[in-house]
Amino acid sequence: MKLVNRQQAAVLFMLLLSFMTTAMAGAAVVVEGQWVREAPPTSTVLAAYMVLKNTADTPRTVTRIDSPDFRNSQIHRTFMEDGIAKMLPVDKLQLPANGSVVLEPGGLHLMLFDPLRTLRDGDTVVLVIHADNGDSVTVDAPVVRKTDATDHAHHHH
Amino acid sequence: MIIAVLATAAGIWFARLVLQRTVVEDELAATRFPVAREIQPFELVDHNHAVFNNAALQQRWSFVFFGYTYCPDVCPTTLSVLNSIAQRLQDVDEDIRFVMVTVDPQRDTPERLAEYVTYFNGDFLGVTGSDQELEQLTRQLGILYNRVESENGSENYLVDHTAAVFLFDPDGRYHAVFTPPLSAENIAGDFRKMLKATQ
Repeated sequence: MKLVNRQQAAVLFMLLLSFMTTAMAGAAVVVEGQWVREAPPTSTVLAAYMVLKNTADTPRTVTRIDSPDFRNSQIHRTFMEDGIAKMLPVDKLQLPANGSVVLEPGGLHLMLFDPLRTLRDGDTVVLVIHADNGDSVTVDAPVVRKTDATDHAHHHH
Repeated sequence: MIIAVLATAAGIWFARLVLQRTVVEDELAATRFPVAREIQPFELVDHNHAVFNNAALQQRWSFVFFGYTYCPDVCPTTLSVLNSIAQRLQDVDEDIRFVMVTVDPQRDTPERLAEYVTYFNGDFLGVTGSDQELEQLTRQLGILYNRVESENGSENYLVDHTAAVFLFDPDGRYHAVFTPPLSAENIAGDFRKMLKATQ
């Protein structure tokens, strides 16, 4: 009787431990402010933006972000070189301990190729963020029509 | 001693020069030419299949951007900025047009361009042409673009391209250029100042 109890306790403890580590690991990368830019009717390439936060005390690497709503996806970075806008694929995103990486227009972004259905403002797509330790975070991202600029004036005083 | 005095004098003179220049640059975010530049003949086609040439630039101000419709980040962002400029300049009693010239004529047909640019603003105009026809215009503006093959298959290739916005005056001359980061507020403000200066 006592032995069974000890076994049960051990199993319970193991379950609790595995649940806790999964929950903690799952919470390490937190996604905020995610959105997908609605594209003009003929477009087959869309971009998604978000803030990836690492709540862990150790660095974390995001290896891939994919979506079941698109045929393909790739993390890209836009940068200016001698006035020329260039884009390059980014293999992985390094999230510093307790730090974040911002995907925003004109910088890092997730390229989403060939939507599997028509996506319009108000629709939602699923994004799955994969970390190097095997964890993944699944979030819903709203499709947003954005045809005017949130102005960032650069004044030098 | 003499050297020290000379050095100080030179320093003051140089500081003044720099300060003066800073003040001038602060007044205008754009690069404007003392004399607007003539544009050599070119001939392209707009999204309504009408000829877009030197004459099409005349009798109105034209903000011209070079991009492509398969561009998911920079081009939608720039067209959104152009739309914001259009909203900000609604009260200006001048004919102002916003044009996107494609740097990807292989994929950007007039039909495709029409759907793309009018999504941002119904009055925007898309322009295309053959590689040679495009070069007639891009070469004299110093615009560079380069097709970059992608591992995702030939249909999804990227095009690096000059991200500036070019302003042409109602005489069809190259008047000013706005380089990134593009701000609708600054560009609209600069345009009002330039308009005042030409009147």
